[in-house]
Amino acid sequence: MSRFRYEGGAVAVDLPSGEQEMLSQVLSDLRDLLIKGGDNTLRRLKPPAHPDSSEAESAYREMIDDDLLRGRLEAIELVESTLSGAELDIAGAEAWMQSLNSLRLVLGEQLALAGVDLVNDKLPDTASAALYEWIGWLLEQLIDAASQAQDH
Amino acid sequence: MTAPVMVPEPEVDESVEYARPWKVIVWDDPINLMSYVAFVFQKLFGYSKEKAHRLMMEVHVEGRAVVSSGTREKVEFDVFRLHEHGLWATMEKDE
Repeated sequence: MSRFRYEGGAVAVDLPSGEQEMLSQVLSDLRDLLIKGGDNTLRRLKPPAHPDSSEAESAYREMIDDDLLRGRLEAIELVESTLSGAELDIAGAEAWMQSLNSLRLVLGEQLALAGVDLVNDKLPDTASAALYEWIGWLLEQLIDAASQAQDH
Repeated sequence: MTAPVMVPEPEVDESVEYARPWKVIVWDDPINLMSYVAFVFQKLFGYSKEKAHRLMMEVHVEGRAVVSSGTREKVEFDVFRLHEHGLWATMEKDE
């Protein structure tokens, strides 16, 4: 059954309780990781804006890093408050999308750091690979429902 | 949470430096879903579904695509919003 549906102008969230618990756990881990900072697996959450100029890049980072972190923490909070079921408006759906995508970027980077070629390799039979695939599956459904909301 | 943001029209700047156009480049990466990338282009830049899809395919096939351009301030803001959404975006001066 679909976890996200477009319904009456909103995106309905409907997750089985086991999946709510799983997401709640990984989101809490993500929050800790984001607040602590510095971890290699966060690399994809902070791509460089100015790869060829360290001076411009550090000015950019100084300007945006706090906003970037604050936005991510707020998005996670919104997801946590709607995990048990909600009707999301577009902004709410976007917060969900950003959070699920952040989780995928961290999990994907973990796999890549472990030597997995995410484009060409079959994913290994591990818990983090299964989590990565599951979150991708959720995200696809959410994008589908949010696209319908956006079109209306 | 990211509130919908209005992109302010760039103000005309007297200095040559700021009047020079900059561009935003999005690079292909192995993690972001294609549908997600297209959705983000549509949402952030107000592009039609077709244009967003075409740009996403350009990123996927060519490895990169220019997705917006303008003054340095506007482009920096676009890059920031793309980074908020986890896309691999950089900016450069359009020589």
